[in-house]
Amino acid sequence: MVASLASGALPGAVPEAGSGKVTSPMKVLGIGLPLLYSAAFFVAPLAFLIMLGFWLVEDFQVVPAFSLENYLDIAQHMFAKSNYALAIAQSLWVSLSTAFLAVLVCYPMVLAIVYLAPLSRHRLLLMLAVAPFWSSYVLRLFSWQILLANKGIINSGLAWAGLESFQVSLIYTQSATRIGLIHYLAPILIVILYVTVANIDRDLIQAARDLGATRWQAFRRVILPMSRTGLLVSASFAAIVSFGDVLAGALLGGGAGKSVLGSVPLFSNMIMSEYASSTNLPRTSALAMILVLVMILMLAAGAALADRNKIDAG
Amino acid sequence: MASVIRPDPLAADGRWWRVAGRLYMAIGYLFLVLPIATMIVFSFQKGQFASIPGQGWTLQWYGKLFTDGTLLEALRNSLIVSPLAATGGCILGFLAAYALHRFRFRGQGAFSVLLVLPVLIPPLILGVAFLGLLSRIGLQGQLLSVILTHVVIVTAPAMAVIQLRLGQMPASLEEAAWDLGATDLQTLYKVVLPFTLPGIAGGWLLAFTFSFDEFIIAWFVSGFEQTLPVAVYAYIVGSVDPSLNAVGSIVFGLSVLSLIGVELLLFPILLSRYRSATS
Amino acid sequence: MNAISDIAPPQVDLELRGIAKSFGDFVALERVDLAIERGEFVAIMGPSGCGKTTLLRIVAGLESMSSGQLLLRGQDISALPVHKRSTRLVWQNFALFPHLNVRQNIAFGLTLRRHDKAKVKAKVDEIADLVQLGQFLDRRIGQLSGGQKQRVAIARALVTEPEILLLDEPLSALDAHLRIRMQSEMKRLQQRLGISFLYVTHNQSEAFSMADRVVVMNRGRIEQYGPPEEIYTQPKTHFVAEFVGSNNIFDGKVVDVEGGLIKVQCADAVISAAAGERPPGKGSTVSLVVQADKIGSKPAGTVAENSLNAVLSGREFTGSQVIYHLETAAGVEVKMVAQEPFSQTERTAINMAMQLYWSPGDTVVLRPGIVPGVENIPGGRSYVALGA
Repeated sequence: MVASLASGALPGAVPEAGSGKVTSPMKVLGIGLPLLYSAAFFVAPLAFLIMLGFWLVEDFQVVPAFSLENYLDIAQHMFAKSNYALAIAQSLWVSLSTAFLAVLVCYPMVLAIVYLAPLSRHRLLLMLAVAPFWSSYVLRLFSWQILLANKGIINSGLAWAGLESFQVSLIYTQSATRIGLIHYLAPILIVILYVTVANIDRDLIQAARDLGATRWQAFRRVILPMSRTGLLVSASFAAIVSFGDVLAGALLGGGAGKSVLGSVPLFSNMIMSEYASSTNLPRTSALAMILVLVMILMLAAGAALADRNKIDAG
Repeated sequence: MASVIRPDPLAADGRWWRVAGRLYMAIGYLFLVLPIATMIVFSFQKGQFASIPGQGWTLQWYGKLFTDGTLLEALRNSLIVSPLAATGGCILGFLAAYALHRFRFRGQGAFSVLLVLPVLIPPLILGVAFLGLLSRIGLQGQLLSVILTHVVIVTAPAMAVIQLRLGQMPASLEEAAWDLGATDLQTLYKVVLPFTLPGIAGGWLLAFTFSFDEFIIAWFVSGFEQTLPVAVYAYIVGSVDPSLNAVGSIVFGLSVLSLIGVELLLFPILLSRYRSATS
Repeated sequence: MNAISDIAPPQVDLELRGIAKSFGDFVALERVDLAIERGEFVAIMGPSGCGKTTLLRIVAGLESMSSGQLLLRGQDISALPVHKRSTRLVWQNFALFPHLNVRQNIAFGLTLRRHDKAKVKAKVDEIADLVQLGQFLDRRIGQLSGGQKQRVAIARALVTEPEILLLDEPLSALDAHLRIRMQSEMKRLQQRLGISFLYVTHNQSEAFSMADRVVVMNRGRIEQYGPPEEIYTQPKTHFVAEFVGSNNIFDGKVVDVEGGLIKVQCADAVISAAAGERPPGKGSTVSLVVQADKIGSKPAGTVAENSLNAVLSGREFTGSQVIYHLETAAGVEVKMVAQEPFSQTERTAINMAMQLYWSPGDTVVLRPGIVPGVENIPGGRSYVALGA
């Protein structure tokens, strides 16, 4: 893990170009400073997080210990009181379905940009698609709140237009959470997918069409397989972000938004609200470690699945 | 007519595909701009609860924003935190990118993974971890805590943009400087830095945006020194207040400015990866 | 430095002693020795991957060497880092600083140390006039043409008064027309300034037209070092004979040595060549080299010392000359260059039988020999010219 600073010395008589000494001060600085910062403010906190999960709180004071109490307590409440297991299930369900929907929404967008718009317009269209990313996420969620509220802009607009029967009741459900998340993810996914699709050689599609493939076959046999990596990357990215996000679930899902699994909060929201009410940092750390673990398992399962499909396909 | 050259294989004769595709694209863009348009329009609307039809135009929410100090205070905090975090991230990002560009060393792969890792870990986890350590050393609840932690997460995006730019610099450029007698340091500030400047500026803007929008880490470590997203969150949870639309419009105005900066700096770098500097 | 001036001229500007370089298992250079006299224009020529650019970069200090010694005007510079050497390199892609204008680019090397602004300006103006860049000094690099960029690159190096100028294929990025104009310009510049040029190229005509002496390199070794005329007329090794364009090579066995001539049994005929001072013995394997322009065609039935029957397989009209491609009965390909096409009465046609002749004096004999240090290269058997 730790980069060796002295290994850059060249074998010959002539030292590393541009420096009088064998190891350039630029090398020491360029590797050393980022490494030092990362060790102090990234590796150390994460290592400490693992440790903190075994510490305890006594008389509102965090006390160093090596105790499994936090984990045991969490285990006991997996299916009781807090129902952590349900929250984890809710998180998995919402994040995976969001990832799927986000890709499903963004991929056709990208196909339309790449294949229906002239090349000279691509840059403008991408700029527009990325625009929401540069405005505040929290404020966008607030905006969605007033759009989706039961008597909000969408429903009142529908009523005003005489379309009462089309009114929707989305706010404080996990569907609203998904809308917020997809809106947050879309600009990034569009960029990732654009890079993938735009790099597909058009001559290949032309060749497929020339060989008699229908438009659908050209998509199915050429474009889709060649987008595979981009689709996988964007879907995993979307799943990770959704799984760790707290804002959409809190502001649009209302903390314990309804889904097919019932009105259960997301695991991330649970961690946040538990800390807000108890400020019990060791216990929060233990919960955070569980979130990391579940996420790693989710990714590993996804990778295994993708791998098996690849073997099946090829 | 069969011999007409079709520039676009999918845009060929299928009119329905084209109509459907364009329609879909329009709906997509409507979805993307809807919340922002809502924010701007309703920041000038009278009613406390936004609905259609509107209840007339007003500037009262902007007035309220400037008399009630909380959000302004948070905006001020954010305008201290984000530029400093972005600058820190750019310094570390440049150093690391330059080291990776220029030197071969053991653990090179691990080094770059280590620096990119923070953006792959959910900020919720980082928030808890940062608070855990910072509270042990008495650094929690200050703007400094937010700055220190934000540097960790904005280094990777800044570094990525700077790396792209460095990748466009031919190796002979540095060699030419050495050959003409420049020392390492002279080469750095007379050749490498000027060449990389657009990348550094683009990286800074990206880092600034990441920091300015970051919520959960700041929520954990900032204590009473709230940054804008944290204050806005508290506001939303507390009440429905169209002042937030006014804040949103101001923030969007700021981001339009940075968007112009991005258009001028970031996009040329991202889209012309293989452009050589000299030919 | 004083020791040098005691020695009678020619003075040596740059001396390479046993320079070797390997990248892991790959040997890029093996023991290269070379001396360049003051004011000399030396071209290093060879196929890509022969180590010529590596050698140049080692001299510049941009590459380390595995072993060897570099002397610049008698001083050992082997341990000096690149920025402390008084050599200057000109790059193939020019390596101009895109953020600086022409004047700033040229002045770059002068402004690195404490300097007098007026003096720098005067020097830049002077060199710019010399390379005809006077009116372009305020232009940005992006606004220059290829030839102008090339001049900036040379001016930027020369303004620092280097002891030797190193050039790495500096003309290869230019179009053919411009390349020829720049060749004569560069040669003039070099003669006027009296600075040694060490010039790397893979282009034979570039090397021959500019250089006082040419180094032919192959597989990290110097095959031959001498004036262009000598390289052309008297190749010393098989490789040089093949590399220097229009040579015909016939392999065979010596059958007879008499009267200052050796006779060699080749695939199609017995060919005679001038024996030289140390002729190879009977039965030894040799290669004979004949330049394509020394071969003529004669009416059938005439008697000549060396003659060969061949069938015309192709004809290439290049403007000033015509290249005839022929093939002998044994399948050996022969090239013949004629300064003008045959007269109309003697029309040539593909598959036409022709009789070729040339003088034994135009036949160079190469004897297979083992060149020191080649043993470890697979198939490293090399040919050495007689009397070398």
